[in-house]
Amino acid sequence: MIEVRGLSKHYRIAKRKQGLLGAIQGLFIRKYTSKKAVDDISFTIASGEVVGYIGSNGAGKSTTIKMLSGILTPTSGDVLVNGIVPYRERQKNAKKIGAVFGQRTQLMWDLAPRESYDLLKHIYQIPEAIYQKNLHEMTEKLQLHSLLDIPVRQLSLGQKMRCEFVAAFLHDPAVVYLDEPTIGLDVAAKSRIRSFIKQMNEEKGTTIILTTHDMQDIEELCRRIIIIDNGQILYDGDLHAVKNSFLHEHVISFELDEEKEEILIPGELEGLVTYIPEEGNSNKLTLSFHPETISAAQVIAAVLHHYRVRDVSIAEPKIESIVQEIYERGA
Amino acid sequence: MQKYWKLLLSQVKLDTAYSLRFWAGSITSVIRLVMLYAFWQAVYENRTTIVDISLEQMLTYSVLAVLLSSYIAGAGTQLAAGVLNGDVAIELMRPYDYINKLISLDLGSKLTSIIRETLPMLVVALLFIGIHAPHSWEHALLFLFSTLTGILIGAQIDLVVGLLSFWTINISGLRILRASFLLFFSGTLVPITLFPQWLQIVCTYMPFPSMVFVPVSIYTGQIQGADIYPAIGLQLFWLLVCWMVSRLFWLLAKRRITIFGG
Repeated sequence: MIEVRGLSKHYRIAKRKQGLLGAIQGLFIRKYTSKKAVDDISFTIASGEVVGYIGSNGAGKSTTIKMLSGILTPTSGDVLVNGIVPYRERQKNAKKIGAVFGQRTQLMWDLAPRESYDLLKHIYQIPEAIYQKNLHEMTEKLQLHSLLDIPVRQLSLGQKMRCEFVAAFLHDPAVVYLDEPTIGLDVAAKSRIRSFIKQMNEEKGTTIILTTHDMQDIEELCRRIIIIDNGQILYDGDLHAVKNSFLHEHVISFELDEEKEEILIPGELEGLVTYIPEEGNSNKLTLSFHPETISAAQVIAAVLHHYRVRDVSIAEPKIESIVQEIYERGA
Repeated sequence: MQKYWKLLLSQVKLDTAYSLRFWAGSITSVIRLVMLYAFWQAVYENRTTIVDISLEQMLTYSVLAVLLSSYIAGAGTQLAAGVLNGDVAIELMRPYDYINKLISLDLGSKLTSIIRETLPMLVVALLFIGIHAPHSWEHALLFLFSTLTGILIGAQIDLVVGLLSFWTINISGLRILRASFLLFFSGTLVPITLFPQWLQIVCTYMPFPSMVFVPVSIYTGQIQGADIYPAIGLQLFWLLVCWMVSRLFWLLAKRRITIFGG
């Protein structure tokens, strides 16, 4: 479906000297430096995959998406989407892709969404029967019926984003790029949009590439993630695998029923867990351990065996902290 | 082709989305006409002709020039706005030619402005101001052709100014410059024949008179006989030049987005 091999994009950036003199000098003589926005990346995405494309701001995410959609010409390397080289046949590629940008609208601001959809029908040359079927199905799934005839400017952000999704999927695109689609939305709107993405992927086999800073999106939608930083791929693979391989420590806290002078680690856990001292709380026992050496259940069982426990809390490994760590390691 | 037609219609829908704005446009254009009338009345108070032009001729010229001048803008503003807010990138993800889309939208707004501005102005002009008929039937037909050519030249120049935003990002200064050049040198304000001789000669080397002055003068008969065809020929020449320049700029602009990332 999508093949990327040795893809690079270098930008030329005008370098300015500091100060007024430098600014004036910059008007006449400019020095350029080359910035590698994307530097020799390769990956293959199969049809029907949902891939999370993660990276900090300026990591090269948008540049990659722009090359995949044919807006940018690569400096070097190959891109193939649906068997098309996007930057050579931009319009042909455009017919088979869809996109949602959380920060931009593709709908006509002053008109009702229905007008925008009708225009898209003609732009993408969607046959009438398919258009009606898709529109009906999608408005059903996103519960948009009552919004179709209200001018977009009167819709709330959540309502508007749901309308944007219909616009992106209306022409049955093979690939859809989602760029921070849930930014600024409330929990209910987010979950509705996530379930819509899931449904479209399962029912139509749409390949989805999701860039986002919302890790909840990634965890709920993607089985595979690609992490990019400084234009290079840091990780490409299974989401759960990255959780395990980058996660050394699970942390469990026990709140004990009685206050103790000194809390001892149960004998059977000796050497397998690390005691994390907590200040001020003499009834708290916090242990960290590696999931490969001992399971959470074993740790809990051992502690329960020795102490009367009022409460247990398990710190679930967050993908944010993993990504954070990967970034730091990469830098 | 059908998608461009639909794009054109969508612009008409946009322009008519707010009825108050629509009617305000009509009223404003009629007020402009009334002011024009009052101005020339005052100028002609103590004389019957200026450089052989009678009041009636002058009013006819001015009314037509103002009518025409609302059509010589083009898609440049939209293009520049798109560049400034970054929508161009999204537009390139659509299966159409962006420039053709903009031209369709522009034609759409011209269609609405016929109903919104031109018709009310024509009615008022015919009933109350009294503009005279075209010089002859031949002149009427040539006027229509010449008007179309003039509008197309205007659209291309506007596009070129808009395309410059790919390099300068903000073109508000350029737009003001363009607007003032147009107002003066296209002959919208006063007929070019009122200019001093040397300025008239300068004008012949600019595309602006081809946009308003030439078509309107053909209507009024200020250009007639053997002078008509060279004038139209010159218009066609400018149209070709402007079209080539706008296409060239668009190619360069496209290269700039796709290579440099806009």
